Amino acid sequence: MTNKMRILLASCGTLALASAASADTVRIGITQNNVGIDSYQTTYERAFIAAADANPDVEVIVLDAGGDVARQISQMQDLIQQNVDAIIIWPTDGQAVVPAVRNAHRAEIPVIVTNSNIAEAGMEFIAAFSGPNNIQQGIYSAEMMCDALEGEGQIVQITGMPGYTTAIERQQGFDERLAEMCPGVTQLDIQPGDWNRERAQRTMETFLTRFDQIDGVYSGDDNMGVGALNAAIAANRAEGMVFIGATNFAVGYDAMGRGEYWGSVYQSPVDDAKAALQTALDVLAGEDVPKLNYFDTPKITQDNMEEFDRPVF
Amino acid sequence: MLLNRLKAGGPAIAKQGILVAFILFMIVFSLMSDRFLTADNIMSVFRQSAIIGVMAVGVTIVVIGGNLDLSVGSMLSFATVLVVDLHDKIGPELAIPIMVLATLCLGAINGFLIGILRLNSLIVTLGMLSAIQGLVLIYSGGQNVDIVDQRGTWFAIFGRGSVLGIAAPILIFGLMAIIFHVIMSTMPFGRKVYAVGGNPTASVFSGIPRSRVVFTTYLISALCVAVAAIILGSRVMGSQNNVGQGYELQVLAAVILGGTSLLGGAGSILKTVLGVLMLAFIQNGLILMGQPYYTQWLVTWVVIIVAVWLDVAAKRGRLFSPIA
Repeated sequence: MTNKMRILLASCGTLALASAASADTVRIGITQNNVGIDSYQTTYERAFIAAADANPDVEVIVLDAGGDVARQISQMQDLIQQNVDAIIIWPTDGQAVVPAVRNAHRAEIPVIVTNSNIAEAGMEFIAAFSGPNNIQQGIYSAEMMCDALEGEGQIVQITGMPGYTTAIERQQGFDERLAEMCPGVTQLDIQPGDWNRERAQRTMETFLTRFDQIDGVYSGDDNMGVGALNAAIAANRAEGMVFIGATNFAVGYDAMGRGEYWGSVYQSPVDDAKAALQTALDVLAGEDVPKLNYFDTPKITQDNMEEFDRPVF
Repeated sequence: MLLNRLKAGGPAIAKQGILVAFILFMIVFSLMSDRFLTADNIMSVFRQSAIIGVMAVGVTIVVIGGNLDLSVGSMLSFATVLVVDLHDKIGPELAIPIMVLATLCLGAINGFLIGILRLNSLIVTLGMLSAIQGLVLIYSGGQNVDIVDQRGTWFAIFGRGSVLGIAAPILIFGLMAIIFHVIMSTMPFGRKVYAVGGNPTASVFSGIPRSRVVFTTYLISALCVAVAAIILGSRVMGSQNNVGQGYELQVLAAVILGGTSLLGGAGSILKTVLGVLMLAFIQNGLILMGQPYYTQWLVTWVVIIVAVWLDVAAKRGRLFSPIA
């Protein structure tokens, strides 16, 4: 990582000198959350660099906070010092980065937040947010659950890590839409799976002991959904049980292909990265960009899965 | 008072504070949920506790030897990612021994730094916790790994198989616990670990090769992690990069709950098994009762603290004592 950073920084430095004459080139700095911790973020970074390389008018400075808030704040300061044209930030902590974002705003550098939004207090300092709409994803999952169960049944929910915005918003969207669209579907219990497949498998095993009849399972992502599926298969109760997830993973896609998994929400890190860069460019071009820019994360089910590539993670 | 009755029951029972706490706990839970004490549920909890349990066996030995091992969580991530990734590349018959050897190498690094160079085990294993996580990310490039042919591989027996109706993870956990309990309680090596942990200086003057003993405890810990990784990989048939994150604290909690002294020199593998089971039954019982997750966090630690207190009180023979 450090080597890549150094090369990128060095090349950016020389390129900046070389291209100082051409006024058309924009310099955009990005500070990411934690590249390498999961496949999504790894793919995102690759896609972001590829998208920037494809555009001759863009120079990017790619940084990674390694999940460390303090490091991300100092990276923000570095980018402000370098006087880049725009900063893209994938917040490590939506609350703690607000002062750093405010500093950039004061230095008149537009800030674009990517993937997960920052806290409400920081919204006035950002130019735009670009990312998935997690509440909408929860709504989609609820609609698929309703369709699959034809409005009647008992389900359990396995959520992501407690306290994570993504987990909270997906649950919120799901709970509200489910209650509104099909009151005939009841939620027996909601417990966390911590984004961890083994943990989700354990939670599901306990659900299976506790409830004699489970018609459907909603999981906060496919990784946990496949854990729940594993538990149901081991208990010989997967037959006829509806599994709905979110953030379609390769394992979820494959299980869907085998007919074991009903549906999910397709969220591509490539789309996420491209949308972030495009939003930044739109802001710099002086276009009237809305505060919240959501890229499309469609429903994926056994019926329409051929329209999508198998996820890379 | 409970304690007076404990003492009246004789010193043998008074020393089993953790066992008493465990039984009390099981009674309370079975009164609150009719599903709790069913054969299915008990088997399910035993199976769920196997991964943490196998790791706790190794960590107990390290702690008895007077050291800590906080690196087991990311070591588990490392071992699981490695065995799952190699499974599809070179087949399970080669993937397993290569993973075991690689994990033992990590254990040897811990053992060398702490046993031979005599560095502080808290610092070394805390550093290794982070370093090994980095290693996993470099190896996997951030990608999750999965076994493609989940139904057709014999690798499935470790996590999903069973013998005479008993799930394989339970058998493996039971076997590991018994083997190491026998080693620790009857063999010379076991006595040496207790001696080194109890009084390092005295053990050296008694001619015990302290460095070698400590080194070996870390090898055992790594071996246990490798076995846990086989169960985990086989059960889940895939792995995230950070799958073991936080497991080190659950393992340590079970070891402490089992009454093993963090100062070294005292502890028992069988009591660690009780600690592991108790933690697993708490999590299971609270979900069976439909309690939200924050109750689980709260109750788990309250129970640990109360159980440790009961254990200490039973040893002292009184609930409050100005001296330890």
